[in-house]
Amino acid sequence: MPNVDRRNFLKLVGAGGVGAGAGFMLSESRKHPVEHLVPYPVPPEEFSPGIATWYNSVCSMCSAGCGISVRTREGRAKKIEGNPAHPVSQGRLCALGQSGLQALYNPDRITGPLVRAGRRGEIEFDPTTWEESFAELANQLELMRTAGRGGGVALLTGGVRGHLASLLELFMGWLGSDQLLHYDFNHPATLYAANERFFGESNLPYYDIENSRYVLSFGADFIGHWLSPVHHGLGFGRSRQARDGDRGRFVQIEPRMSLTGAAADEWIAANPGTEGVLALGIARRIVDQGGYQGTDLDAWQAALDGYAPDAVAEQTGVLPDTVARLADSFAETQPGLAIGGGAPANHSNGVDALVAVNALNHLVGNIGVEGGVIFNPPPAFGPEASRHASLARMLELAEDARAGRIELLIVSNTNPVFNLPEASGFAEALADIPQIVSLSSFLDETTAHADLVLPSNTYLESWGDDTPSPGVGFRVGAVSQPVVEPLYDTRATGDIVLELAHRMGLDLAFPWPNMEEYLKYSWREVWSNGTPDPSIPDFDTFWTSVVRAGVWGDETRAPGGEFVPDAGVVEGIGVGAPEFAGAEGEFPYALHPYLSNGLHDGRGANLPWMQELPDALTGVVYGTWIELNPETADELGLSDGDVVAIESPAGAIEAPVLVYPAIMPGVVAMPIGQGHEEYGRYAEEHGVNPINVLAAETEPATGALAWAATRVRLVPTGGRADLVRVSGEARELGREIVQIADAGTPAAAVNAPAVAAAGAGAPGVRLASGARAAAGIDAPTAGAEAATANTRLNSIPITVVNT
Amino acid sequence: MGVSIVPTLRVLKPVGMIAGVGFVGLLVGYFANAAFFPGTTPVQPIEFSHTVHAGDYEIPCLYCHTQARRSPSAGVPSVNKCMGCHAIVATDSPLIREVARHYENDEPIPWIKVHDLPDFVHFPHNRHVAAGLECQECHGPVETMDRVTRMAPNEMGQCLTCHKDMEVEHGIDCLTCHK
Repeated sequence: MPNVDRRNFLKLVGAGGVGAGAGFMLSESRKHPVEHLVPYPVPPEEFSPGIATWYNSVCSMCSAGCGISVRTREGRAKKIEGNPAHPVSQGRLCALGQSGLQALYNPDRITGPLVRAGRRGEIEFDPTTWEESFAELANQLELMRTAGRGGGVALLTGGVRGHLASLLELFMGWLGSDQLLHYDFNHPATLYAANERFFGESNLPYYDIENSRYVLSFGADFIGHWLSPVHHGLGFGRSRQARDGDRGRFVQIEPRMSLTGAAADEWIAANPGTEGVLALGIARRIVDQGGYQGTDLDAWQAALDGYAPDAVAEQTGVLPDTVARLADSFAETQPGLAIGGGAPANHSNGVDALVAVNALNHLVGNIGVEGGVIFNPPPAFGPEASRHASLARMLELAEDARAGRIELLIVSNTNPVFNLPEASGFAEALADIPQIVSLSSFLDETTAHADLVLPSNTYLESWGDDTPSPGVGFRVGAVSQPVVEPLYDTRATGDIVLELAHRMGLDLAFPWPNMEEYLKYSWREVWSNGTPDPSIPDFDTFWTSVVRAGVWGDETRAPGGEFVPDAGVVEGIGVGAPEFAGAEGEFPYALHPYLSNGLHDGRGANLPWMQELPDALTGVVYGTWIELNPETADELGLSDGDVVAIESPAGAIEAPVLVYPAIMPGVVAMPIGQGHEEYGRYAEEHGVNPINVLAAETEPATGALAWAATRVRLVPTGGRADLVRVSGEARELGREIVQIADAGTPAAAVNAPAVAAAGAGAPGVRLASGARAAAGIDAPTAGAEAATANTRLNSIPITVVNT
Repeated sequence: MGVSIVPTLRVLKPVGMIAGVGFVGLLVGYFANAAFFPGTTPVQPIEFSHTVHAGDYEIPCLYCHTQARRSPSAGVPSVNKCMGCHAIVATDSPLIREVARHYENDEPIPWIKVHDLPDFVHFPHNRHVAAGLECQECHGPVETMDRVTRMAPNEMGQCLTCHKDMEVEHGIDCLTCHK
């Protein structure tokens, strides 16, 4: 035996034991982890593990109402695409729509009902149960209803259409409350009003960009986020490329080049808020040249009397020659289409400006024709009257709250605390409402004020239906079906309302057990009113076919009738000077806020994909920046990354400067979407919210927020911030990106984007010498100067037209 | 005693000695685990016997693993498939009562995967069934196993050998399996 004493023996035994244990564990760790095969107890029909199932549904990420097809595997949504059968999206989908998955799987979703534990706004919640919440809330609602105080209930939702909107109408009707409001920052209220005034119907027509040969857009960023960007983008592509040898021409008029503007043949900056004046200047030229031969020619001549070329040039800063050229080419290229949106539509003279744009369409005979403005039939279902709330209506609600007339506010799928200017005082007014219930899926700024949170399903887990707006010129209805089971203890908004109604004893008025049954019941009517299809013998077959297809409706556009505007309308045409909050002396720059393509009005900020999506024109990721023309930046001695305070009459925020050549001097632009204080881990602590410095200025005809009507001043703070940018080198570096062509060759102007400067001396786009040097070329003319500006965007090949 | 290890041990420093014994222990532990607990024959939550079903009663594999012919994943039968027979067959067996309990409570059975490929390997069952392969070529004689054992190593060499022997088009391209 070896001579090992007891002490060493124990040591050796210990070492051997530890070694063996470690070896065992090492071997264990190298094994495959145990994986389970978990079959369904009873599988859904036609389910095959490993094989994807696609469900058609409707996107709810913005108000366009695109049809979607969602790929699911083993009951989990994996990918969202456009539904090829849906006439709006036609198989395409935008980035925001694609990232709907990240709303579904968002780690910051509210997973069950919550009740406030701390003080209002402190965001301390305790979990509660649906049973308890429903019992209490239904009891409270029923007490208010029977006591005749149902009018003290306000229901504030995002843009809701279809039968969910009808259900909410019915519910609020039973409560005896008319405080049912939809609030959507991007709702085109002024466009509805302008159409009502000019066409006599408060609806959005179909803008047939696809078949148009000339699109004249006044600020409408129709590829980015105007009305129905997926459909417009598709139509624009076809207008450019689908007709052999007949490439559609497109001119964009806006103070800051948007994604849409960057795709234009000609980009023109008019002084902010004077786009409507420019439209009338073009109209006058068309009338003067004999382009209009209607019986009411005299009335038009009288109405356009004040829009002589010189007067228009003085107001808009666009030279008379340019106006004449635009008018002549627009009148002779048929069919053409004039559209208006964005900043011109959301100015103090927004409705007048959009009426002027409608007038242009009428003057060249493009109403009711293919490639022009085509009227939509009324929505196939859903409430007739719009419940969309303007800023003025929201302020009324706030006033009612302050006066104690609102006892209970239910907020669903809208975030007014973030999307209304701080100056509106809406957030403070919430403190005067005794009880606030939020149906939001996320803890956003408005839900932070809630006393009770009853989390809704996301749209991918809910039943619903939709009538897309704007429509496509014929009746379209779409059914939104759940593509997955709810991931958490949440309920669909419609089911919450129905459950409350049942518990209030309103079973007779609300005989449907859930939203799905309500939809089926309502669609019976759609079925019996629709065109009979002999291949569909009964409702169940019809319903199954609609749900499977995701869409229902007609397939062809009815020919438009003759349109003649009322004499009174023609007489009343005119666009006044824009009114800004803030005197020009004190606040020298017009603030041009714009919806970010990915984050939209801020709703996309909690989606990591959207946060990581670089801005299409500046290449900036994350944060908020302020875009300055190089000339403005030079005046203030600022360069990229210098932090400035942006002060308006309504407030102040800070943001880093980004020198952006495609913006007018005198205008500064900021993207909307960032600056969330709540709304989850991905949204918080990025950038600032420019809505907060907007004055509560309204467009007088609609009461809508005139978000383009605030002036600001810039005060350098001395601070620096790093802008995260993915764009490459701004200089040309001998790559011959900028080419000089002669204006005498129109082909050059048609085949490549060109920038027309309003002319040196006039307040068009000019470029500081610094930027010219940066572009690395000699720029002999004003036109070339403006174009070198573009080289600082993203290496877009540019042809300069020497004018 | 012919050779004493005492002199050797004496020369070693005590720390080295402990480390040496520890290392031997490590190897013993490692291989003991691999030898005695290979994890290739897991104990299933319900002791389903392939010998009875596939062996004695000669139920074809694809009767239960019906997805194998149309899906990349062969799948295991849903609980109601079991109950399709066992609503009337062997209803008094304790194992079947356990299956019935799962069915009545709408509770899935968490079977343990025996043949588990890494996530970076794409193995479509449907293509292999379509090519006429017998299940047993990879899975072994399952009809003789009360507890299913992983027979094949399921490693890349096995795939490549077979793809070469069968002269599969693009059979040895990386992207055929790793995609």
